[in-house]
Amino acid sequence: MTTTSLTTTTTPGRTAGAAGRSRRHGTHLNGLPWILPAFVFVVGLIYYSVFYTGYISTLDWDGLAPTAKAVGLGNFTKMFADPVFWAALRHTAVFYVVTFTVQTALGFVLAAIMHSRVRLAMLHKVVIFIPTVLAPATMAPVFRLIYADDGMANWILRHVGLGSLAHPWLADGNTALPALMLITVWQWTGLTFILYYAAMSQIEPELLEAARLDRAGNLRTLWYIVWPGCRGTTVSLAMLGFIGALKTFDIPYLVTTGGPYHSTEFLGTYIYRMGIRQAHIGYAAAISIVLLVLAVAGALIIGRANRKGASA
Amino acid sequence: MALGAAASLAMVALAGCVSTSTNGTGTATGGSTAAASGGTVAPKDLSGNVVWWGYTPGSPVNEQYIADFNKDYPNIKVTWKQTSIDDYDAAVRPALGNSSGLDVYQMSAGSANGGVAVFGGSAIDLTPAVQAALGSDWKSKLATTGVSALTVDGQLKALAAGAVFAGTIWINQDLFDKYGLTPPKTYDDWKNVCATFKKNNVGCFVQGANQGAFNIDTLHAIADNVSPGTFIKATRGEVPWTDPNLVKAFQLWKGLFTDGIMQDGALGQMQYPDANNAFMSQKYAMVMMGTWYSQYLIPNVMQSAMQAAGSTDKPFTMIPINFPDIAGTGNTGSLFGDVDYGQGVSAKSSNQEAATAFAVWLGTSQAGQQAIADSLNLIPALKSVTPNWDNVKLVNPDKQQGPEKDLVQRASAVTDNPRFATINADMNQALMQALSTVAAGQATPDQATKTLQQAQQSVG
Amino acid sequence: MFEVRRRSSRVILQLVLFVLTVPFLLPLVQMVIGALGGIGWRNFVVVWDTGVIPTFFRNSAILAAAVIAIVYVLSMTASFGFSKLRIFGKEVYFWLMLAALTLPEVILLSPLFVTATQLHLYNTLTAVVLPLAALQLPFAILLTRNYFDGIPTELIDAGRIDGASVVQTFWHIVLPLTKPIASAVVVLTLINSWNSYLLPLVFLQDRSKQVVTLLPQFFVGEYTNDQTKILAAAVLTAIPTVLAYVLMQKNFERGLSAGALK
Repeated sequence: MTTTSLTTTTTPGRTAGAAGRSRRHGTHLNGLPWILPAFVFVVGLIYYSVFYTGYISTLDWDGLAPTAKAVGLGNFTKMFADPVFWAALRHTAVFYVVTFTVQTALGFVLAAIMHSRVRLAMLHKVVIFIPTVLAPATMAPVFRLIYADDGMANWILRHVGLGSLAHPWLADGNTALPALMLITVWQWTGLTFILYYAAMSQIEPELLEAARLDRAGNLRTLWYIVWPGCRGTTVSLAMLGFIGALKTFDIPYLVTTGGPYHSTEFLGTYIYRMGIRQAHIGYAAAISIVLLVLAVAGALIIGRANRKGASA
Repeated sequence: MALGAAASLAMVALAGCVSTSTNGTGTATGGSTAAASGGTVAPKDLSGNVVWWGYTPGSPVNEQYIADFNKDYPNIKVTWKQTSIDDYDAAVRPALGNSSGLDVYQMSAGSANGGVAVFGGSAIDLTPAVQAALGSDWKSKLATTGVSALTVDGQLKALAAGAVFAGTIWINQDLFDKYGLTPPKTYDDWKNVCATFKKNNVGCFVQGANQGAFNIDTLHAIADNVSPGTFIKATRGEVPWTDPNLVKAFQLWKGLFTDGIMQDGALGQMQYPDANNAFMSQKYAMVMMGTWYSQYLIPNVMQSAMQAAGSTDKPFTMIPINFPDIAGTGNTGSLFGDVDYGQGVSAKSSNQEAATAFAVWLGTSQAGQQAIADSLNLIPALKSVTPNWDNVKLVNPDKQQGPEKDLVQRASAVTDNPRFATINADMNQALMQALSTVAAGQATPDQATKTLQQAQQSVG
Repeated sequence: MFEVRRRSSRVILQLVLFVLTVPFLLPLVQMVIGALGGIGWRNFVVVWDTGVIPTFFRNSAILAAAVIAIVYVLSMTASFGFSKLRIFGKEVYFWLMLAALTLPEVILLSPLFVTATQLHLYNTLTAVVLPLAALQLPFAILLTRNYFDGIPTELIDAGRIDGASVVQTFWHIVLPLTKPIASAVVVLTLINSWNSYLLPLVFLQDRSKQVVTLLPQFFVGEYTNDQTKILAAAVLTAIPTVLAYVLMQKNFERGLSAGALK
């Protein structure tokens, strides 16, 4: 009958006068109580750290000494003149673009295949999934063995006739980064797979039926119906991938330690190296602040681009 | 009488608890040093709970030390909290700010793994306690390297358990015998040995050149071969890195790569576990490790290490040799090292007395130091202690005892050739960078040493 | 998604799947070879003999369950709010939460440690559960919000017209539709909690409270690094998560075929 909210314990009903204006998203019901617990929880626990980091970024401190030197924006000016910082940014950017593209494509295709009638689906799903639960710390030496001069990678290349490509992958600054990107794809495609699999299940079967009736082939259906249907997932992955790339630490640090000679240095590894290994906490905090700004900005841009695309 | 003493001790300890939790100064305050500084050693019936943080040598060895400690101090309960060596700095940092959960913690010379320069500020001065234990001439009883490296601002922040020295290369004697080779003494020897091994599909020399610390060892050895003592002078700023002797050292370092001594892809490998496993599984015949490798002269330790490397062979005979005279100067046999780790007591600890008793025991008592010496992986801090060769069983005593005894003797005699103590974190990074860029051909020795000198000057 | 009528298409599809999946298998093979090195099967026995595996597993399970519970409840309710309800300054709240995701864990250690000790939570699982949940939440909300956007508002209006309260609508109508994304969120949170390393390392001191990620510590020393045992431990640790995943997948598929969507 009426569309005013009935009082419950969780919604101190506040009718907003405008009755039942059902827009695409959202009704006139107040959603604040619904998001407040999550918001308070996250912000309460983490924001102290954010402000603390911001404060430390203005110091020249080793994290333990009772006194620290205040240097204002000194850490930031040093950072912008630091070639390693810019190298790390470059690597992060390349890393993001390549791994996002490959992981998304692979995850999407695999999810599509798994939604079809194939044999041994569960086995394949498990194989793709296992890498996501293996700690990078444990797999790092395994990958150094695989990429070694006499390791599995070169062995395979030699046995399929591509022996000329055999290379000490991790010892060469030019090939170390691609090698790491491959490890990352191995590790995280399982994640994109799971998400796309869930998203595809939300696509109405009628749409697919309609496409079939129109004699659309598999690939056309995939591109024109399934892919746009998973748009939300793709956007989420883009945002998370962006933030994740900025924070990347485990694989580059554990496999190559940012080397050889900084050719696999990332913002995440640089922060760790500066903060923990070289005890320049203030500098590390400054880089973290820049990371935070870049992350939020990037996610915002991706979100905005998405909304523009959606409302077009 | 005993009751009265115990009661007053308890009050003293309590007083210590209260005062230490409110001030974080670097010296022990109030009652907690009354027992130690007044010239008396902590009594054997002292009780307390001590949490011991560290990264080495790992269970069950640490529990062994604790069990030995409890023979002297049965009422002090020590719990060992292990972190891996890589995470130690990140994990111990926040724990040091807490007044419970950390009482004794490990520190090292240099800048890595609890470097005393950074972490010493959170520890109390152990001088009074050491004085009580060893008397006023305590300094002459302990290895100088351990004492000086762990002293900050005149305060002894940690007591060394023992020292490790580098500069040696360990070879697989069995493999050498198999192909009729003798340990190389010159550069040409080395190249010939490697050529023979290569012909027989055996790896020659292996190094994890992605792990900078061990590259620095190699550079130090080469530099000492070219001109003894120059490397240390450079780290102290007394000699510029652009000194021709050091440039020559970098050139020789590069030569190891271009002349095929270093294995292919060395820059992509770590010393642990990659190179270590390669040597232990007998894929390679030579590896550059220091005195800590001596622990593998002991059969069951060696067998475990080989199994850990995936090999089921019987323990093979390995012996230490001097770094070959690749510069042709005749200066060989250089050993450099510093304290591997020492125990310090947190100034915020509420169990300082018991904690100090433990730290002092491990670093100065005959029992503690003998246990350490007999495990062969450390040169003990207490000068009067040497490995008890009757007790220590070796894989191949005929071939190994001689070289090992000689090594221990020479290492104990080293007084001023630190390994990492004079290299701070930033210089450590700069050296690693220089070494890998030269090895990869990204920079010439001239360029690299110029960059190093700049780094040295900006760090002071 | 692919409709494969002809036998040859089925074969091709199966082949494509195989070719795509094999590269994932290779490092796993290398890992198992490594776990069986040295003393072979006995590596697993040695790992088991450390005596801590049941305890560590139990603690990891408790940790994961607690984090999943918090993340699930808070992300479902928050996403419902963000997606379907009216909130003043909704986007600001959202982006503020997302910003919390961006700091590297290593930077959070010190301030979190201070908080934990002030609240007397040092050496408790709670000290690990709370920050982990807080770090996972923005991610989960991002995912579930998108999913909620895909649920037609008409459904909710229908419920409201029938006189149901917001909560009842949420509970009876919306929630059952979220099975696919819920199971994804559960699995992902499980992965992240199970693999969490740095926070447990710093906050959990007693052996009785530690988690499986700290298992390799037993086999890594200053100059030792027992790969065979570490890899054996990794294999043992991975098994429960794989089992959980398989169960979730089966559950989710059953939910689908029960017509949960319409």
